[in-house]
Amino acid sequence: MNLAHLHLLLNHFPTIGFGIGVVLFLVSLVARNLELKRASLVILFLIAVIAIPTYLTGAAAQDTLCERVNGVLKCPPDVSLVMIQKHEDWALLAFSIMEITGFVAWVGLWQMRRTSKLGVLNATAVLLLAVTAVGVMSVAANLGGDIRHPEILSPEEIAAAQSSERVPIARVIGSYVIGQTWLWPACEALHFVGLCLLFVTVLIVNLRVLGIAKSLSFTAVYQTLPLGMFGFGINLVTGMMFFLAAPQQYISNVEFHRKIILVVLAGINVLYFMLFDKAWKVKAGDDAPISSKFAALAALVLWIGILYYGNMLPFLGNAF
Amino acid sequence: MDFLRLIEETALATWVRESPSIWSFPVILLFHTFGMSLIVAVSAGIDLRILGVAPEMRLAPLEKFLPVLWIGFWLNFATGTLLLMADATMKLTNPDFYLKMAFIILSLINLRMIRKHVFRDPLIETGKFSGKARFLAWSSLFCWLVVITAGRLLAYVGQSSLYK
Repeated sequence: MNLAHLHLLLNHFPTIGFGIGVVLFLVSLVARNLELKRASLVILFLIAVIAIPTYLTGAAAQDTLCERVNGVLKCPPDVSLVMIQKHEDWALLAFSIMEITGFVAWVGLWQMRRTSKLGVLNATAVLLLAVTAVGVMSVAANLGGDIRHPEILSPEEIAAAQSSERVPIARVIGSYVIGQTWLWPACEALHFVGLCLLFVTVLIVNLRVLGIAKSLSFTAVYQTLPLGMFGFGINLVTGMMFFLAAPQQYISNVEFHRKIILVVLAGINVLYFMLFDKAWKVKAGDDAPISSKFAALAALVLWIGILYYGNMLPFLGNAF
Repeated sequence: MDFLRLIEETALATWVRESPSIWSFPVILLFHTFGMSLIVAVSAGIDLRILGVAPEMRLAPLEKFLPVLWIGFWLNFATGTLLLMADATMKLTNPDFYLKMAFIILSLINLRMIRKHVFRDPLIETGKFSGKARFLAWSSLFCWLVVITAGRLLAYVGQSSLYK
């Protein structure tokens, strides 16, 4: 099992998962079924979370398939580098749309907890974004299949793939980040700002559940969740800048793998506070039930772990 | 300069700078980052609440989180001193470092003013904040933004013996 293997395993989830999510969401809108709406938004959000390691392992899969000789990729004869790069372009676009969809779906879920209904604007945005994401993702997935399966291509397609020279969008963005001396440090500073905004929510929500400031009801601290998600969004964007600029230093870095695993777990953790009633029913002055305290403690451990692995990237691993 | 060199050449400073152990520079930096997240998160939480984020959340109970901020502050005072000693000749001659220190002081004065003018305001429970309160909230966010940015840029501006 290596990261290329993991990519082959994970890459089925975004296409199929988002497809199922969209169909369920359509049915829930037609049937006006609240629980089904909630379920499909959860699927779209979780698939958007899983799309993060799916995208990141793609760069590792490329380096497993093709060898890097003096910084230039040399692929075996049955693997088309152009196909890989086309796949990468569409995958980056699909990934970006999926993350936005996941964010909007999450906002919808957050709203539903408070108002027990999904706003028309949010529902429309989720539907349009998710359908677009499925479309773009299908192209990416199809191109991904072409990388190792020349039997499904026509001779013209193979000839076209071998003749054209191209620079993938990911490399264009990456070179830009590296090329501007101020951009990498600026992204780092912003990554810290995002971290602080995320921690506003992480601290207020989880420490309240654990017993600090009990005069706040859970429904009150719950209002800070979108702020935390906004902070996470800043860090996903700035983090992607680092990854696109220097993918090799991350795909070969075990600390980075562990960080991303914890990010996925933290994405699952936040759903506890949005879906279950235990924490939701904690009124001002109440002590939270033990299961909620466990989830809050888990959240703190996860986010501190993410901070730990991020800090250790250059020391235990090889990142700069 | 000789004095700074003296600090930098103490056994402790040399250990922080040169030890290959994960427990020296990497863990000290980790706690410095962790402390930052505690300080800025609590302060920014109060500021953003004043500015209208999470309107159903009462401001007064957020004072209970201030001890978390002070844990972060003393953690960063200690780890910051170690990081400064390890690189005294460079940091203490770097204007960026003094910019960061100045804005930490401004941020703390700002926090004191928020405690005095917002938390001690009898109208705090109404959830309506004065123009002065909103100004203090914005200036607090701005000051922390300068501290974070100046701190991060310390790794880039000036010739640091730690990062090169």
